[in-house]
Amino acid sequence: MTRPLHVLSACAIAALLATPTWAEDITIGLATAQTGWLAFADQPSLTGFQLAVDEINAKGGLAGRYMITLDVKDTRSDIAATVQAAQELVSAGVQVLITPCDADPSIAAGQISQAAQIPTLTFCGTTPTITDAVGDYMFGTYPADNAQAALLADYAIDQGYKTAYIVKSPDSAYTLRLPEYFAQVFTAAGGTVLGEGTYTIGQQDFAAEVTKIAAMDPQPDVIMTAAYEPDFPAFLKALRGAGVTAPILGSDGIDSPTISGLGEIADGVVHTTAGFPTEGSKLGDFYAAFEASTGARPETVYVATGYEIPYILDAAVTAAGSIEGPALRDALAGLVGVDVLTGKVTYAGTNRMPSRDITLVQIMGGARTLVLTAAPDPASVPAP
Amino acid sequence: MPLFCGLPRRAWISAALLIGAVAAICTVLGLIFGGTGINIAILMLLQIAAVVALAVFSGNSGVVSFGHTAFMGIGAYVSGILTMAAAAQGSALPDLPVWLAGHELGLGTALLFVLVAGVLAGIISGWPLSRLSTGSMAIGTLAFLIIVHTILIGARDFTRGSQTFYGVPRLTTVWVAFGAAACAILVARLLRETTLGLRLRATRENEVAAAAIGVNMRSARFGGWVVSIAMVTLVGALYGHYLGAFSPKDFYFDLGFTLISMMIVGGMMTVTGAVAGTVLLTLVVQVLRQGETGIDFGFIAIPGVFGLPQLGMGLALLLTIWLRPTGIAGLAELGPGGLWRTPSVAPPLPAAIPQPAQPKTNGALSVSGVSMRFGGLMALEDIGFEVPAGQVTGLIGPNGAGKTTLINVICGQIAPTTGFVAIDGHRMTGLAADDVARAGLARTFQNIRLFDRLSALENVMIAALSKGHDRATAQGIAMAELSRLGLADRWDAAAGSFAYGDRRRLEIARALALRPAYLLLDEPAAGMNPTETDDLIATLERLRAETALGILVVEHDMRLIMRLSDRMIVLNKGLKIAEGVPADIRQDPAVIEAYMGTKRQRPHLNQGVLK
Repeated sequence: MTRPLHVLSACAIAALLATPTWAEDITIGLATAQTGWLAFADQPSLTGFQLAVDEINAKGGLAGRYMITLDVKDTRSDIAATVQAAQELVSAGVQVLITPCDADPSIAAGQISQAAQIPTLTFCGTTPTITDAVGDYMFGTYPADNAQAALLADYAIDQGYKTAYIVKSPDSAYTLRLPEYFAQVFTAAGGTVLGEGTYTIGQQDFAAEVTKIAAMDPQPDVIMTAAYEPDFPAFLKALRGAGVTAPILGSDGIDSPTISGLGEIADGVVHTTAGFPTEGSKLGDFYAAFEASTGARPETVYVATGYEIPYILDAAVTAAGSIEGPALRDALAGLVGVDVLTGKVTYAGTNRMPSRDITLVQIMGGARTLVLTAAPDPASVPAP
Repeated sequence: MPLFCGLPRRAWISAALLIGAVAAICTVLGLIFGGTGINIAILMLLQIAAVVALAVFSGNSGVVSFGHTAFMGIGAYVSGILTMAAAAQGSALPDLPVWLAGHELGLGTALLFVLVAGVLAGIISGWPLSRLSTGSMAIGTLAFLIIVHTILIGARDFTRGSQTFYGVPRLTTVWVAFGAAACAILVARLLRETTLGLRLRATRENEVAAAAIGVNMRSARFGGWVVSIAMVTLVGALYGHYLGAFSPKDFYFDLGFTLISMMIVGGMMTVTGAVAGTVLLTLVVQVLRQGETGIDFGFIAIPGVFGLPQLGMGLALLLTIWLRPTGIAGLAELGPGGLWRTPSVAPPLPAAIPQPAQPKTNGALSVSGVSMRFGGLMALEDIGFEVPAGQVTGLIGPNGAGKTTLINVICGQIAPTTGFVAIDGHRMTGLAADDVARAGLARTFQNIRLFDRLSALENVMIAALSKGHDRATAQGIAMAELSRLGLADRWDAAAGSFAYGDRRRLEIARALALRPAYLLLDEPAAGMNPTETDDLIATLERLRAETALGILVVEHDMRLIMRLSDRMIVLNKGLKIAEGVPADIRQDPAVIEAYMGTKRQRPHLNQGVLK
């Protein structure tokens, strides 16, 4: 037993040494979920990512000199497969690693790339603890849960809402912590949280929860939840059916055509999103160009947020003048106000979950309209 | 054979071969793919350990468990908390109780605590689960998946709830994973052969027959569950140390589906199957993954397609269910007597085999005042008779007379409305069927109930083990009874492969291995041709001569029962209508009427089969 496995580790080292790395090339490894439950976010993110890489390569590569090669591995939305893919990519010598839109696999993969000093970015992982859990090589790119919550709370206060009710589910960090962050910011800004309800993801019957809310006297000024499909529509129908008229604040999980298609009951719902394409805006132009080249508009904003990441890397490589891990890490961490499709992205002064513009939209008559785009005040964003 | 802890040498050889095969596969992976191969090997080894641990319960008991992955989660969290660096723990688990914080244990020590946690979790969950029927038990495991998952999410101070639990040291090297797989294979392969393993497999094959030879299904399933859960909890700890970060959802349906698929594709009834299924599906996934990046042959480039591994897994599962429902390995373990056939060398008989118990010459199996009411139907009414030791008592009656109900009452499968059954003066009514069996009443079944996928020797040995004999003695008793029934040369063949007449005899051998004081034969000649019936009569006459057994024969074959019986009892419509020696019964007008429905015709009761 002993001898063969010695041979085996020797081969492992040989394989590692044999991997060629060209001086003027950069290999980006993507261990993301192209199949499985997470593909709804990772697949469009990859589409956008590849589009941007093609554009950048056409202009001579990152910082005009590092041609990008992609090494794409599907993680099948499975954490063990993500670990395996990350290990393979790190062994293969990638200089940047991209991880899925979820905290578990991002942190698991990040722990591997952190040890190898490889800057790592999550596609659209929103959990603000991702970066601190891994270390200084791990970066977020998408609006974090606490930042979304802070913007929603700021908006609620601006609207004059004094009291709120939150609905959360302990089943996922997103559905649990986002409303909790909201309550924290809302309370700190002088609001009062009258109560909170909980649900189970996939629960169809919200009757008990809604009866509780309908019986409240006085009624809350606003109801906030991070529920998404199929829970959000079920909750909304039950709530309006019970005669509760309080306005509803939601998060980016309900940024889908299904929700705007719910009809009258969805009117007035305000929720966060990473970006909203309006005529003449950068994002609007991107959507138009995307439609011109592919024949269809992007189905979700993840195409745009995926597209932004190579440009964030471009800014960092330009600043670092190098693709060495530590230099690139420092350059990323120091970025300020990088112009991307959905606004500006800043890492300086953050815990590597970026401070960036977030958009609020309102659903009315089956369509969404822009409410505002802003970066929440860093002072009001609660600690993860 | 103290060298092998009393377990068959072939089990040890089979385990060694399996471990060797796994080592060889990992070596090949490493040699061909280098570091990537090692990565593949680590995950494959962990999955082998998990699937083998799952099969310890599901394979041996036949009850598919959906709950095992949740217990893997318990292992991962316990070990994660105990091994985590204090600094990481401070940030990840700020509210961890002081007594749990900052231990920074090594992997070995942590695994000891995980083992304790696993055994406790197994006991707590196994207690209610083992009280459920077979169908309900599978659903019960599903309930535990959800319960444990909910607890892991709810215990936020310990687990961070649904948020990612991070900072778990990545300690699962290829050596650790190999050690886990090797230990799991060894334990699982040997457990099959232990008393617990044999009993579990007996309940899988036939619950009623298992109870009839004294196997308590509840305790067998409980034991198998606890061992299996303890094993899978340990594997879960190592899986956690492989991932480094996880949340409760990583130990839920998806992982369970993967593990169950591997077990079913390989064949859940053998350890070889669990290993083969895991290896095969790993290869399918890893080979098809190469298709994701696209293949360039130079003259033609095939674009990459995502999702091929899942398609491959689904296809493998579908093909297995369609073409080979028992899985790749089927029923045979790798090794001698299994996938490769060696000339059967009968196991040696021990020097002294306990002879059949000699019942007190004045003892009897007595049925006293037994009535059985099903709603408005009086199935039995005040039945009383004795089956004296050393004699053959025949029980006859037309269809619907209440014979089956009476047998079920005597064997403890149902409790009578009034009255009781006693063995040598000890009251049996109120005891479970397996207690009655151990108390001295063995039986055979009208529709033969053998453990088809177990060998003849195993079938008979399980009965002998019920009386508390050690393994060597039990094996000796089993071989002696197989010899008595003329089946010794086929000790190693699966019971399912036996011809009809041989199946009847094997069932009798199994009943005799219980060393009963009384033997109940339920239509032993049913379905037999005249030659087979003659053989059976000869065997039973020999049995009566050789032992002091009290035998109760329920039979339609009048030739057999008239020739064998010392005394006869006749039932009709729930009533005892006659009792006496065969010559008197043959002439009894009430019996004639019951069988022929008229007093005028004279039946030829001694000439054939009355149905």
